[in-house]
Amino acid sequence: MFTKRYFPCAGARALHVPTRREFVYGLGASLGSVALTSLLAAEEKANPLAPKEGHFPGAKAKNVIFLMMEGGPSHIDTFDPKPMLEKMHLKEFVREGKQKSAMESGKRYYVRSPFPFIKAGQSGADMATNWSHLAKVADELCFFRGCTVDSVNHPTAMYQMNTGNRFGGDPGLGSWVNYGLGSVNQDLPGFIVLPEVSYPQGGAANWSNGYLPAQFQGTPLRPKGSPILDLAPPPGVTPEHQRKNLDLIAKLNSEHAATRPDHEELVARMDSYELAFRMQMQVPETLDLSKEDEKTKEQYGIGKDTTDAFGRKCLLARKLVEKGVRFVQLYHGSWDSHDYIERAHGNLVAGVDQPIAALIADLKERGLLESTLVVWCGEFGRTPDNGVRGGTAYGRDHNPNAMTIWLAGGGCKAGHTIGATDELGMEAVEGKAHVRDFHVTLLRLLGLDDNKLSFYHAGRFKQLSQFGGTVIQDLIA
Amino acid sequence: MKKESLFLWHSPAVSWDNKQPRMNRLHSVHRLLFSFALSSAALTQLVAAADDAEALFVRRIQPLFSEKCIACHGQEEVKIKGGFDMRSRESILAGGDSGEPGLVAGKPLESPLYLASTREHEDWEAMPPKETDKLYAEALGWIEIWIAGGAPWPDATRAVEITKANEAAWAAEDGIIVKTTGGLSPDWTNRRYPTEGLWGYAPLATSDFGSGISDWEKGKGEHPVDALIAKHFPVGVTPAPAADARTFIRRATFDLTGLPPTPEEIAAFEAESIPNPQSAIRNLLDRLLESPHYGERMAQHWLDVVRYADSSGFANDYERGNAWRYRDYVVRSFNTDKPYDQFIVEQIAGDELDPADPEKVIATGFLRMGPWELTGMEVAKIARQRFLDEVTNSVGEVFIAHSLQCARCHDHKFDPVPTVDYYSIQAVFATTQLVERPAPFLPNENTEGFGERAYLEKRRAEYLATLAELDRILLENAQAWFRENGKDPSGWNAAVEAIAAQGEKGGNRGFSEVFGAARNRLMKEGVAESDFPPKLVGFTPEQFGLERVARKGLERLRWEVDRYEPYALAVYNGATPQMKSVNSPLRLPKNPFAAGELEQTCILTGGDPFASGEKVKPGILSVLSSTAGLDGAVPEAPEGRRTAFAKWVAHPDNPLTTRAIVNRVWMWHFGEPLAGNPNNFGSTGKKPTHPELLDWLAATFVESGWSFKELHRTIMTSEAYRRSSGLEVSGSKLSREELEKTYAAFKPRRLSAEELRDAMLAATGELNPALGGIPNRPEINLEAAMQPRQVMGTFASAWVPNPLREERHRRSLYALKLRGQADPMMEVFNAPTPDFSCERRDASTVTPQVFALFNSRASLGRSLALATRVLRETETDEAAIDRIFALLLGRTATAAEIATCLAHWREMTPVQEKAVYPEVTPPLTVRREAVEENTGEKFSFDERLHAYADFVPDLQPGACDARTRALADVCLALLNSNEFAYVY
Repeated sequence: MFTKRYFPCAGARALHVPTRREFVYGLGASLGSVALTSLLAAEEKANPLAPKEGHFPGAKAKNVIFLMMEGGPSHIDTFDPKPMLEKMHLKEFVREGKQKSAMESGKRYYVRSPFPFIKAGQSGADMATNWSHLAKVADELCFFRGCTVDSVNHPTAMYQMNTGNRFGGDPGLGSWVNYGLGSVNQDLPGFIVLPEVSYPQGGAANWSNGYLPAQFQGTPLRPKGSPILDLAPPPGVTPEHQRKNLDLIAKLNSEHAATRPDHEELVARMDSYELAFRMQMQVPETLDLSKEDEKTKEQYGIGKDTTDAFGRKCLLARKLVEKGVRFVQLYHGSWDSHDYIERAHGNLVAGVDQPIAALIADLKERGLLESTLVVWCGEFGRTPDNGVRGGTAYGRDHNPNAMTIWLAGGGCKAGHTIGATDELGMEAVEGKAHVRDFHVTLLRLLGLDDNKLSFYHAGRFKQLSQFGGTVIQDLIA
Repeated sequence: MKKESLFLWHSPAVSWDNKQPRMNRLHSVHRLLFSFALSSAALTQLVAAADDAEALFVRRIQPLFSEKCIACHGQEEVKIKGGFDMRSRESILAGGDSGEPGLVAGKPLESPLYLASTREHEDWEAMPPKETDKLYAEALGWIEIWIAGGAPWPDATRAVEITKANEAAWAAEDGIIVKTTGGLSPDWTNRRYPTEGLWGYAPLATSDFGSGISDWEKGKGEHPVDALIAKHFPVGVTPAPAADARTFIRRATFDLTGLPPTPEEIAAFEAESIPNPQSAIRNLLDRLLESPHYGERMAQHWLDVVRYADSSGFANDYERGNAWRYRDYVVRSFNTDKPYDQFIVEQIAGDELDPADPEKVIATGFLRMGPWELTGMEVAKIARQRFLDEVTNSVGEVFIAHSLQCARCHDHKFDPVPTVDYYSIQAVFATTQLVERPAPFLPNENTEGFGERAYLEKRRAEYLATLAELDRILLENAQAWFRENGKDPSGWNAAVEAIAAQGEKGGNRGFSEVFGAARNRLMKEGVAESDFPPKLVGFTPEQFGLERVARKGLERLRWEVDRYEPYALAVYNGATPQMKSVNSPLRLPKNPFAAGELEQTCILTGGDPFASGEKVKPGILSVLSSTAGLDGAVPEAPEGRRTAFAKWVAHPDNPLTTRAIVNRVWMWHFGEPLAGNPNNFGSTGKKPTHPELLDWLAATFVESGWSFKELHRTIMTSEAYRRSSGLEVSGSKLSREELEKTYAAFKPRRLSAEELRDAMLAATGELNPALGGIPNRPEINLEAAMQPRQVMGTFASAWVPNPLREERHRRSLYALKLRGQADPMMEVFNAPTPDFSCERRDASTVTPQVFALFNSRASLGRSLALATRVLRETETDEAAIDRIFALLLGRTATAAEIATCLAHWREMTPVQEKAVYPEVTPPLTVRREAVEENTGEKFSFDERLHAYADFVPDLQPGACDARTRALADVCLALLNSNEFAYVY
């Protein structure tokens, strides 16, 4: 964990002289003292975190809630039914060719989905019946079955879905979006991650700022213990006690800074201490859901064993978006169900179905859905077949050639299913698009042009899609 | 359904387009001209002014199309965007999907090709699509003039004629053709390079300053470094005076050892400086360069560049048990001032030089530094190609300041690096195989602390016990299975008894596995699978989980215990073995060429490992042959390729190599490199600010026998290095940054993450200065240490610190560096991720640094230790405060500072008297909760943390009285102060 891979060696970044404002990573003006605020106001223009227009000002989406189902949910058992597998069930499966990996060793069999499907909503979206809550908002969703990725291993596939680069080290989607649009709320980081207690494979590089300045890094709020490491001093040190020490630092530092008036990093570093002190109060307040309406909490499934954890994340995500946080990424999983898919996926769906449905309904009720793009996906899909592994019940392996992603809100084409996989769910055949095209489309929904959202690093202008991609127009309303 | 948006000639008007003030001057002139409907006379004039549209086409338009358009509009038939093919005049005239012709000869303003390129037309989408690719005003003008001139398209023969006729005139303006092996297309081979982008390939310029600084030392002339800096000195600026002795010794000591000078060293240096500053500096540098900590500091820099880590990264993040021996090899190499050319050759080809010399074999750890793994999920050939691409690029970046990967899929867009060269260099490594190779420990290696293996053995015993217990359960479950399924267990029972009689030799993985062995036996006997129980029969989710954790745990231990065995993370030459996955250290095969594929390197089209093109032979970067007269032949035999290649890299006439290393060393001293991108000397990297200085340093470095220590002396004795960072250069209008860039003033720097931690430990007296050895585990934030970390199929084990203080308080260089688990404190202070070569560290200021330095238990511990130390060492309160200043800041405290700190101490004493610090008990276990992968059910288990049983904590607040704790508050403030964090 905590491989926050800042990519601190940014040759090109040396061009950039930090302004006093930048270090704050979103925690600024209103947290600071009055004097500080006025000081900073003059530099507001230079603040890279200030909100700004995208390249396409008409875009509806302003914020993103990204529901990352880590481990690779099976499209075949959730939103992409394959009746053909009923006929093929337990027939032997053979995969040939150069792409054959050790994954395919031993005998393999086709496996039908244990889940029955319905046509949900007016749009008649395909959904496994255990998504009973989500079915109620089916018409808000836009399903995409055409996405493909390049990697069959979790961390590399996660990196690719989150950063565009399979090998990690590049900025996350949330970093790019904040880089492009700035942050409305200067009191909170613009890119917040709500991870599981156990970080996903590949760790914190999944929300790295990569070669973008450190201010654009995703801030994970840990679900257990201190939400941010060392947010509070060791037990035994009271805030008053700490304040006194802080005052001593400030005194020593200001005497020192007076001898070096041109060295503005010194002042920036002094400011960071004041802001950190205030953040200690602010963050726990933000995370406190106790003042939320009981009925709302019930809708999100908070208080119920199966849905409590993810329900809290979903409600918090809504709160954060309301506070102007640009990009919130929620992790759930692992969905890596190699065996016993009925039980494994059954439990996983039960954990997220109600919270996600409640989130969409809640956003809609508050008029936030139009400006909030909700994304649901994993790092890849799963295979229609299974090897004989440890378990005796059926599951599925990793599949980079087919998956289901769905979008809601934010100007997506709600009530439609775009693209198709073959009759077995093995690979995308219609509307097939590489994940880089999906990334470019997300940016476009936010009013950003991937070809313009670039950053000079190590001798090249770099961009989320790596080498450019094509907008998938069919996903846009 | 996918619409081609890139070059659909009609695209909806986009309103943002008008808001972008992208119109440039030249362009507006043209617009103005044409907007008044160009008369034919005016046109003729323009065309005449441009010589001739045909020549313009050959000289400008065709190269422009190749560079900017053809990739999408004609390179590959199938991928032509918007149906618009730009390979011929005819196809342009035919137009794309829009149905309109791409140009109207003579009428630029009616030509979509031109209009799209302006990026400002309502109907035509901006081209090229990438903002960063947009045409420069001049290029736009060429298109305009070419179309106005009738858009002629001379055939190849005519083009050659035109080129020949104009060769001399064009070369003077457009740059030169550079000879290489040749590109994938003749266009690339014959393209011209602006000369200013070729500086890195040119031989080192000769200079009038002779070699080294011996003349200057004898009092003859100016210091060459200063004389060469003066060439670019801003007019009218008086440089800052020399820093005072105290500032200088702190700067030099941190630079050369990564540690602060002691108050005693400072006092001695100050005293020595009064009569003779120059000899004082000379003696100081001699002392620091002889310090064993010098090698540690340089190794830190070098390991950034080679991206050192003790684990393999990605899904498994297996430990590389022997990587530490490479780290120590680097420390030794710097400490013995190993000539850099030798250092290069050993790292690339040490095993070929002398496979029997452990030192040489250990050196090849360099080739293994990249993250790599092969899981059962991945196609082996792809993983192998990842290694080859990795190592090729890394050799380029590290030694010759070239990121070669740009040439993997196509000839380099900007630099004279053809794809053929990329694969030729890759072919050097085509017979290089990964191995953990036997290499007996050397007398100068630190092999202390191997006793810690006992903790791993305890863990192994636990896993084995778990598996034995689970085997017993499976045998019980098997009986239940026979009952439930109404089958006859007698055949099964016989098999179980027979195996048990053999003495539990069922498993080959070091644990008893009667159940599995019985299944195998029956399978071999041809019994139908339906007649005996399936694998892992009747397991509960928890049992599934425990089985997996134990099995994977044993696998992970194999990598960890390798640390105490005489193996080196290394390579060998051989055929590429067939592997499905790599789950334990790889050992040297008996006959490396007996099995597997002897790789023949081919150009991989588009970088795709399955798209083999033309075969290539092992080779070098060909451009240096024509620019610097440096050739290099690499043998085709599988052995010796790397030696030949390394000798080419380390050749004294290789200008990339020599410039690259002196540029790095310069940056290690000044914070700024002379050439702004130390890993990229190509045309997109920054040009050197002081090219003559860079070349003089490189030449001097080679002449001194590639001696790093001489290079440090040369640089550090210069006035530039000795200057004050204070801006006593007022009167100048230049900003601080500008003054620092011209070296008129010294650029202060924030301590690196490692220096911060090491300096704190040095000040408190806790630092264990031992050199080298197996990695240690300092305490990191406890929550981070205990946080579950997913690796393939299980959790990685928790971060458990070494039990003893002196083991934990070693220099940060020695802390176990796992790719998947960075120390959060190191990370927030910009320690680089080991996944990429770090050419230069960042020093950002972000709020989490405050949490790490002000709130952490580590800082509390250091503050208490420092307070305790100074109370022990001093007699009065004032002296105690003064001693803190001396230890942390290297100076005496002013009277005002003493008063301030005394007041704080007094104020905090009663606060500390009331403070209650709950005792922290070391966690002996940590509960792991997970969703079991097979079943989707939750399960949990306790991970036992054996080393914590013997844990001796750092000084705790409970063990100190209120007065000490209150003084620790003063220490904490000073540890957080800017003066401590910066080197001036």
